[in-house]
Amino acid sequence: MISISDDVKVVENFVRVAQIIANLESILTQAKNLSLTAKNARVVALRAGDAALGFKPITNFIDEFSEQTIASTTKIADLSNQLFKVAHKLVRCSQYFHQMTLLKTHLNSKQADAMYQEALKSQRRAASQLSLALSELENHFEDIQKQMQSAEYIAVTSRVEATNAGDFSDSLQSVSDFIASAAKTIKTAVVYNLSEIHTLRGVLK
Amino acid sequence: MKLAELYKGKTHSWMMLECSGSKNDTHSAVNQYFIHSDYESLLMDPGGIELFSPMLAAVLQHTELDKLTTLFASHQDPDIIATLSLWDKAIANATLYAPSLWDRFIGHFDLDNLHFEGVSDEGGEIQLGGVRLRILPAHYLHAAGNFHLYDPTAKVLMSANVGSAIKAPSDTKFVEDFSLHVKHIEQFHKRWMPSNQAKANWIARVKELDIDILAPNHGKLYKGEQVQEFLEWFDKLDVGSAAK
Repeated sequence: MISISDDVKVVENFVRVAQIIANLESILTQAKNLSLTAKNARVVALRAGDAALGFKPITNFIDEFSEQTIASTTKIADLSNQLFKVAHKLVRCSQYFHQMTLLKTHLNSKQADAMYQEALKSQRRAASQLSLALSELENHFEDIQKQMQSAEYIAVTSRVEATNAGDFSDSLQSVSDFIASAAKTIKTAVVYNLSEIHTLRGVLK
Repeated sequence: MKLAELYKGKTHSWMMLECSGSKNDTHSAVNQYFIHSDYESLLMDPGGIELFSPMLAAVLQHTELDKLTTLFASHQDPDIIATLSLWDKAIANATLYAPSLWDRFIGHFDLDNLHFEGVSDEGGEIQLGGVRLRILPAHYLHAAGNFHLYDPTAKVLMSANVGSAIKAPSDTKFVEDFSLHVKHIEQFHKRWMPSNQAKANWIARVKELDIDILAPNHGKLYKGEQVQEFLEWFDKLDVGSAAK
């Protein structure tokens, strides 16, 4: 359970949520760039004709997973508003609970006890809601992580195909490099976010 | 901490939160007032975060929480309404009376339970059980939207920052010698009150009232002839010093 009396920790956790959401932007940007790259690669492959025959299915694949990543990231962005709301609710419930513990030091009465208990329940409910929202978020990030594993595999495959593309080899090589680089950036952001989610869920247990 | 009685009548009483201990801490810097009747209660200027739990404890010693039906906020300063979101959690069905001018700011407190009743510039009334309270305009004293609360039965005027003394000794509840008190209020009123015109309007309005106690947000209260002395002094004071 979150250390309710520690306002600093409560705010730190809110900042963690904000950081997770901020990372979404870089994931989305890279995913959109991947999608554009797939379209460019398709044009290059068409111009290369038979020399880049093996590249065509690869561009379709890049297109497919970049669209999936954009869809996952968009779903997460939709969730993020909800996540902020729940995280804010937890901050407020925690602050209120802290005040109720102070109230008990000022006043020994049944009503003060009842208010303390109610505040504790609200705080636990809010923590549970945040935990659920984080769990949903974790699933989406795991999906993106799988998509990036595919991207890394495609980057290797496309590099091999690029070497057979004659005059278009350099262009297709740069496509492969970009896929590898974007996948790495996205994976780094996702790994960071999953680690933050893991920490947050640990605190909320 | 406890609520000390300022007035007790047949229908209701006025109370003020009294803090024991250090006179220099932030707790003792803000006066908080509470009107209590058998059926309903009202809390004025709910205060800063540090005052929430002591004030709540003091209120619970006098009434059940569901009888605290009304909050009144004279203006928007942090020492006046920083606890709104906490009171919002504590009391389920209360109404907050505050200047309608602050409507868009009140929204930032993200209140779930409190019903906001914006008071128009002309002022208005609060009916608290059988008690009728007048909401008096005090705009620009110091806030652009500012109200005071007058109780014609108790003859008490809660005057928010008008009459306030900051960091003044609190050895007695009421001003005993106004000439000695002036040094604690002069700079505050010159600097915080922006408009001589607003001041004159307010004085004209307040002089028509029958006032036994003038109860400001900070420092000692004024009683009896000290009220008139303060009004006469304030009338002559040139305010808005930072713009001169």
